[in-house]
Amino acid sequence: MSMSVPALAAPTHPPRQQRAIDWGRVVRTLVAAATAGLFILPILWWALASVKPTQEILSVPPKLFGFEPTLNWYRVVLGNADPTQFNVEATGSVGRGSGGGTFFSIPYLRDSAIVGVGSTVLVLALALPAAYAMSRFALRWRKDLAFWILTQRMMPPVVAAFPLFFLFQQLRWIDAYHGLILVHAAMNVPLAVLLLMSFFDEVPRDLDDAAMVDGATRFGAFRNSLSLVRGGIVATAVLAFIFSWNEFLLSLVLTTGVVRTVPVASSTFTTAFATEWGYLAALGIASMVPIFIFILVVQRHLVRGLTLGAVK
Amino acid sequence: MTNADRVAALEGRADSYPAREQLQARGGRRLLSSDRAWVWLLPVVLLLLAIGIYPFLYNIWNSFREFNPMTGRIEPVGLENWQRLVSEIVEPAGRVRGALWTTAVYVVSALAVEFALGLGIAVLLNSGVWLAGLWQALLILPMVVPPTVAAVMFKVLENPDYGAFSYYLQQIGIADKVEPLLGGTGKYALQAVLIPDIWQWTPFFVLILLAGLKAIPSEPLEASQVDGASAWQTFWHVTLPMLRPMIAVAVLFRLVDLLKVFDYIFVLTSGGPGTRTEVISFYAYQRSFTTIEWGYGSVLGLLIFVLALVVANLFVRVFKVAW
Repeated sequence: MSMSVPALAAPTHPPRQQRAIDWGRVVRTLVAAATAGLFILPILWWALASVKPTQEILSVPPKLFGFEPTLNWYRVVLGNADPTQFNVEATGSVGRGSGGGTFFSIPYLRDSAIVGVGSTVLVLALALPAAYAMSRFALRWRKDLAFWILTQRMMPPVVAAFPLFFLFQQLRWIDAYHGLILVHAAMNVPLAVLLLMSFFDEVPRDLDDAAMVDGATRFGAFRNSLSLVRGGIVATAVLAFIFSWNEFLLSLVLTTGVVRTVPVASSTFTTAFATEWGYLAALGIASMVPIFIFILVVQRHLVRGLTLGAVK
Repeated sequence: MTNADRVAALEGRADSYPAREQLQARGGRRLLSSDRAWVWLLPVVLLLLAIGIYPFLYNIWNSFREFNPMTGRIEPVGLENWQRLVSEIVEPAGRVRGALWTTAVYVVSALAVEFALGLGIAVLLNSGVWLAGLWQALLILPMVVPPTVAAVMFKVLENPDYGAFSYYLQQIGIADKVEPLLGGTGKYALQAVLIPDIWQWTPFFVLILLAGLKAIPSEPLEASQVDGASAWQTFWHVTLPMLRPMIAVAVLFRLVDLLKVFDYIFVLTSGGPGTRTEVISFYAYQRSFTTIEWGYGSVLGLLIFVLALVVANLFVRVFKVAW
């Protein structure tokens, strides 16, 4: 923290000196790299575990080198190879997790992706207009509405899961994508609305008024302001997707295995006999790669938006 | 205005919006008025009601019933469950009382560390470092691990015998095998549970606060610097106040989620040793699913809801959240 203090309020691009090296920037970059490295360590350990033979995974001290790397875990998890041909003597695995699931995880990744993308799109489609309206219209009950929306995230899943199960049973929505998508959307809409509202609040109202004086409709003004809250939209989308991707209890209770998301599948990799570390690690890393790429791609929108001066 | 017009307005077919001229004729102020706000808000409200209201009402109803193992049926018990809640709060050794205390310690520690770290990292990443996007994408990754899986990872990492994390802590002399993070007497059990929480949710603050920092217009910052304010003064008097709305949302949601924290405790300690790490939602789970006291579980679930309501309301008032 103390290292970064001198730069607390520095603009994104400090004026670059022609020849002299900007040592402050070097130090800050090193601190940022070290912090990222520290946070990423458990994942590196996990990635290492996903290419280690069983007997090496839990060895102490953890081996960075000197083991025979194997892609067998990935062959089973992503390639549907027969697990018994590789590891039966090492893990005692019969190729099935608890709850009748196989270790072949492409279907789980597919289900998680459908639910995650579907609920994220729904969250944005509903939350953007709502957040805009709460920011722009003169609502007398804006504060109460905002708080009510927040309260919709307060019910613990531990007691919400069963009533929802009964409800979904009546509706025949068990194992239905749209059921999970709606539940995950309802779970994430409160954060999305309130977060986006804060971002819309930062954009001056005059812009909308000016646009509408120029003949734009209210919807046109709304669409114009979207590009000004890009950073907020990206942050919201990433969060909504991650929350859906990670959600465990509701996905477990509202499915029977026909649809099975990654967290639910992961839990079946711990059988009564053993935890299948290799498969668990391989699935964990495999499910992380697409999201990492997604974040890398979208975060260029997380740059400083247009400044006020540029808009006027 | 007909419903078709409203749909047209929402779907952006603005040109086919016949009432437009008429509305504009009445002046631009008409468009700013709130009378059509419900069109924009209705979908969200409907979704939240559709998914939220049934579990809520069900738990209220269920709190006046209890599963009877003798008859195998759920029977009405009147206020019994609520009386039990009161007695478990009032008695000095009451389990709810203990769980509430543990929850308070857990929530305050996690929130303080995650917010401070998250703000620090967000400011650092916004201060013009090279490859900021890469560090940021890497820093978000811990959030991508499902909490149940993260808890399993840390259960291995913190294992005193074969855990890599414990091994390195022992090597640098912070931990030893007599008082390990996990197991042993459980002296550090709460810290052991907090570590994965902090690891996963510091990035939550980084993501939101960094997006907030980027959304701050540069003029006030530049003006402040031109006026000769130090970097620290600019941060404290210009940046932080402008970041306030995002800080409020991030803290409020993390607060509400922390009050429901369950996964890490379930996997790492199961509330133990004894009830040392038993937070309120884990106790609710125990009553609902281990001892099959569904009615009392509903009472505890509603307690969490009310608790979140009170704490969030307090936060909104004390920090004057400008909604």
